[in-house]
Amino acid sequence: MTFYELFQQTMPMLLKGAVITLKLTIVVLPLAVLLGLISCLLGMTKHFKFISNIYIAIIRGTPIIVQVFFIYFGLTQFFRFRMTAYTAGVISLSMNAGAYLSEIFRGGIQAVNIGQTEAARSLGMSYSSTMRKVILPQAFRIVIPSVVNQFIITLKDTSIISVIGLMDIVMQAKQIIARTYKSFIVWLLVGCVYFVICYTLSKISQYIERRLSVGKNRN
Amino acid sequence: MAKIEIKGLIKKFGKLEVLKGIDLQVEEGEVVCLIGPSGSGKSTLLRCINCLEQPTEGSVTVDGDVLTDKKIDINIARENIGMVFQQFNLFPHLTVMQNIILAPVDRKIMSKNQAIKIGMGLLERVGLADKKDQYPSQLSGGQQQRVAIARALCMGPDVMLFDEPTSALDPEMVGEVLDVMRELAEDGMTMVIVTHEMGFAREVADRVLFLDGGYILEQGTPEQIFGNPQNERTKSFLEKVL
Repeated sequence: MTFYELFQQTMPMLLKGAVITLKLTIVVLPLAVLLGLISCLLGMTKHFKFISNIYIAIIRGTPIIVQVFFIYFGLTQFFRFRMTAYTAGVISLSMNAGAYLSEIFRGGIQAVNIGQTEAARSLGMSYSSTMRKVILPQAFRIVIPSVVNQFIITLKDTSIISVIGLMDIVMQAKQIIARTYKSFIVWLLVGCVYFVICYTLSKISQYIERRLSVGKNRN
Repeated sequence: MAKIEIKGLIKKFGKLEVLKGIDLQVEEGEVVCLIGPSGSGKSTLLRCINCLEQPTEGSVTVDGDVLTDKKIDINIARENIGMVFQQFNLFPHLTVMQNIILAPVDRKIMSKNQAIKIGMGLLERVGLADKKDQYPSQLSGGQQQRVAIARALCMGPDVMLFDEPTSALDPEMVGEVLDVMRELAEDGMTMVIVTHEMGFAREVADRVLFLDGGYILEQGTPEQIFGNPQNERTKSFLEKVL
């Protein structure tokens, strides 16, 4: 079998896997941002801070593959219910990325100079107005590179989901290799597919960053 | 009744006692300059007047509002007290005009159109009308500080607090900011100014307060303080800075 023939046979399957990967990512990212925001806001309160702390500690303290297995096999067995591999993937990846995003958001808010809060509060603006109109718009710009970075990590982390049987790029590749024994070429192609997606994403983010740098404080 | 009335003000940061019992009255239209070595508590005293620092003990009353009373809406009280910072603290993501109108519109003191009209007048007053659509990073330090003054004035405050407003400026830009403050003083604004500009204090202040170690050690007219200081520490401080 020539390289060209292998390429022709393999790519449609890999691209089908890529669609699953992308679909999963597109569902996971907004959920992760939402979880991250909630956790970040809880982390800034006095009484509910512990929820955010525990959540982040657990996610940071365990490997993602353990989280996936625990949710897909562990929880379903313990509470006696069924869950599709896709649902388990969405839940575990969202929770995982959410915890990291929560820390990124917190860092972004803290990175805004305290003088900004003081200026706004001295003008009579309430805490929540100050947050919404002064701090968060600045924090948003600060966190974009880190958030995009986390998005790319999460996109790549979706490859973990193949262990519970979802037909993503990695799972497709495994099946092709099982048939053809062409490890080198197939994994190389898999790498290329991921690379193209991730590289495009980081280029888009650079463009957004440049667009948003207007009026940035260069002091 | 005094415009600002401070009674028995004590401020501690943890175990460190920065203000050890300050009593101060500022009359309407009076310009008071706070001088003293660094770490003497000047800035902390100023920041206690609008409760950016919560006083540990004592009371602060501005224009009849008891700011240290827990029941008071501190945001409404602050609308009446403008503050200008050493580092300007303009909002870098907003244009000059947006900086100025943000708070008055947010606090619903005026409509956006009204705020823009008043903001335009204030920018003309500080000589920066042509900069209204620029971002703070495009302005010089002196220009930024003048915008910060206009931003504080747009709320229509009765009292203005200045926290070392010229300390972060290049020497050639100090004058333009002091000119704006001088005009403000002449218009009868009640002002409390923490400053290292002794010449300015001498010229503009009605009263000069010397702080050291958390106490007001000496106060009087600029002539008294600069011409004939009584306290030893005032003397040695002035010898160093003049």
